[in-house]
Amino acid sequence: MSVEGAPALELRSLKKSFGRPAVDGLDLEVAPGEFYALLGPNGAGKTTTLRMIAGLLQADGGDIRIFGIDARKNPIEAKRIVAWLPDEPMLYDKLDALEYLEFVAGLWSVEAGAAQRSAEGLLESLGLWPHRRERCEGFSRGMRQKLALAGALIHEPRLLMLDEPLTGLDASAARQVKSLLTERARRGATIIMTTHILEVAERLASRIGIIDRGRLIAGGTLDELRLRVGENGATLEAMFLHLTAQSSSAA
Amino acid sequence: MIGSSLAFSRFVLHDLRLSARGFASMFGPARPATVWALLVLLLAGLHAAAWPVAGWLLGVEEGPGGAARLGAGLGAGVVLVLPWMTAQSMTALTRMLFDRSDLELILSSPVGPRSFLAARVLSIAVDSVATVGVLLLPLADVAALRAHGHWLALYPALIAAGLLGTGLGVTLGMGLCLAMGPRRARLISQIAATAVGASFVLGGQVVAMLPAPMRSVILGALAPSDSSALHALIGTPVRAAEGDPAAILGFTVAGLAAFAAACALFGERFAEAALVAAGTPASGASAANRAVRFGRSVGAALRTKERRVVWRDPWLVSQLVLQAAYTMPVAVILWRHGGPTGSVGVAFTPALVVIAAQLAGALSWIALSAEDAPDFLATAPLSRRAVEQGKIAAIAQPIAVILAVPLAALSLASPWAGACALVFGAGAIASAALVNLWRQTPSRRSLVLRRHAQSKLVGLMEHLVSILWAVAAAIAVIGSWKAIVPVAGVAGALAVNWRFSAAGARGRSTGRLLGE
Repeated sequence: MSVEGAPALELRSLKKSFGRPAVDGLDLEVAPGEFYALLGPNGAGKTTTLRMIAGLLQADGGDIRIFGIDARKNPIEAKRIVAWLPDEPMLYDKLDALEYLEFVAGLWSVEAGAAQRSAEGLLESLGLWPHRRERCEGFSRGMRQKLALAGALIHEPRLLMLDEPLTGLDASAARQVKSLLTERARRGATIIMTTHILEVAERLASRIGIIDRGRLIAGGTLDELRLRVGENGATLEAMFLHLTAQSSSAA
Repeated sequence: MIGSSLAFSRFVLHDLRLSARGFASMFGPARPATVWALLVLLLAGLHAAAWPVAGWLLGVEEGPGGAARLGAGLGAGVVLVLPWMTAQSMTALTRMLFDRSDLELILSSPVGPRSFLAARVLSIAVDSVATVGVLLLPLADVAALRAHGHWLALYPALIAAGLLGTGLGVTLGMGLCLAMGPRRARLISQIAATAVGASFVLGGQVVAMLPAPMRSVILGALAPSDSSALHALIGTPVRAAEGDPAAILGFTVAGLAAFAAACALFGERFAEAALVAAGTPASGASAANRAVRFGRSVGAALRTKERRVVWRDPWLVSQLVLQAAYTMPVAVILWRHGGPTGSVGVAFTPALVVIAAQLAGALSWIALSAEDAPDFLATAPLSRRAVEQGKIAAIAQPIAVILAVPLAALSLASPWAGACALVFGAGAIASAALVNLWRQTPSRRSLVLRRHAQSKLVGLMEHLVSILWAVAAAIAVIGSWKAIVPVAGVAGALAVNWRFSAAGARGRSTGRLLGE
């Protein structure tokens, strides 16, 4: 059971090594309802971190708590309230869009009426309704990404983790996804997103964390980050480059 | 545009290099010298195995009426090999249309599609010739070593057959594409290849079951002396295989002509069909009549998903049915040969048990190892055990559908045999599923027929348990309590497999499939 008043996500000294440390004692806290952007250079440990939270990788050490639930001890409890959207959508080519959502809703035991309403609403808002009875094998990259997002949202997760959700989307699809995510955040869902498109993070996220070499090197709102680098009005891109360069020279 | 002969030779070299590397990769990280050594050993082994067979064939040739008997045998070979090569080429061509690996790069280059098609079709022909040649050509070599040099005529005859079969296959495949579109053409060619493959095995048995006079007529029609329409068609290939120089020349010219005509006629059409295939939605048809029911239980959701994934893959279903079809001739032989094995129950019950085990092995591998979205399932709030239980439960339905008719027929002929097939078949299904459950090897569904190359232990165990269950079923049909002995063997084999896999699992990184 989730704990009232607990952070949506709490990572303490999280570690994972693949020969060399990928995540190296990461501490991170995300409050309920926050839209958190996790940024970092390639190989910084963003995806590894999210995969450990989603239960796809076993951590070597440290704690993962999701709304107070110890995700390492009670992974199934934690998974009930979490959704994970990888950068490469995982779909079943031989199922159509509606059948895919039916399957996902079944795995999360979503009540029939709610699942149907949610599926229809998600397909409508993502522009997939006309394609609802087409098999996924014929879908474009963008359609696959949007359907995977619908699957991630159909069970109303309290914590939604997205790894590069806008990769491969055209402008219109990207707008649909962004407005859906903003709407979910407004309704109280906690969203953690990795992205290399810094303007998206700048525009959507309420707080931003920058990791490098598996450690959090900076975190906070845009203004807090500006204070940290001592440049008023600096863009996120400038701050990101400054902070990661600083981290590299310190290493 | 680059000169077509230069482009053709470049493509041939490109395909040869890719094929050679693909072949070498089958030996793992071995050095080229090791690969060559293994290859030489393999060829030596094939020739050693061919030695007694060639001896028997030479005995037939030198015996009374030898030439006619051998001619009939070669005729039967032509009747089987040519359609097989044609069907394989048809399938390979239609698959090629959807293989986007380098097709788009090549078709976007300033090279004429005829050169490209000719090179790719040549590689299809080489593949067909090599597949048949690996069995036939050692016989020719051994016969030549034993002073029957005319057997070497099998080489040009087989090459000509490869060219002719491929030319016909390309023509038929492209004809289907033009008539009904690339996607339907692919489906039909897959079914045709399956039917031809099955007829390969079943045809011989059907002939063997015919009354003697009818059999003589058919064998007579294949003999070189016959003047029937069938022989008019196969006479030249048969004479070519026998070593008649004029026939070799004629057959080779015919093969080359068919091959060249197909490449010349369909080069541009192939490029167009590839463009159409690229733009064809994988499933354009609306499926509004298919029921979608939200609110299923976890188990029902998993079962429904697995069922849909299997039944909607015609290639997969055709391969499963073919696998079952290949086993039946053994039962027919047992039944036809009478004696203690001559009862319907003793002949067919073990066959059904073996088929059940094979289907369960393939389907459980598909469900467990060839899961399309393992990471996604690992994020669902389910234990790994729950997911695996759901998947294993899901494989029962396709097996039941495929085996229902033969099981009902067997039960009508012999209720006791039907009951034995049901009980021992269920045991075989459970055993094959457990073997695959304990030794999962994440892979792609399309590799189902080559799954044992990934884990030879699983292949060995699947065969062992299916044979033991089949033996137990046969003993039970006779009514002997000794059926318990092979069942105990199954239990022992499964226990060893479980222990071995559990030990292996400790050394592996955990949760590769389901993120446990």
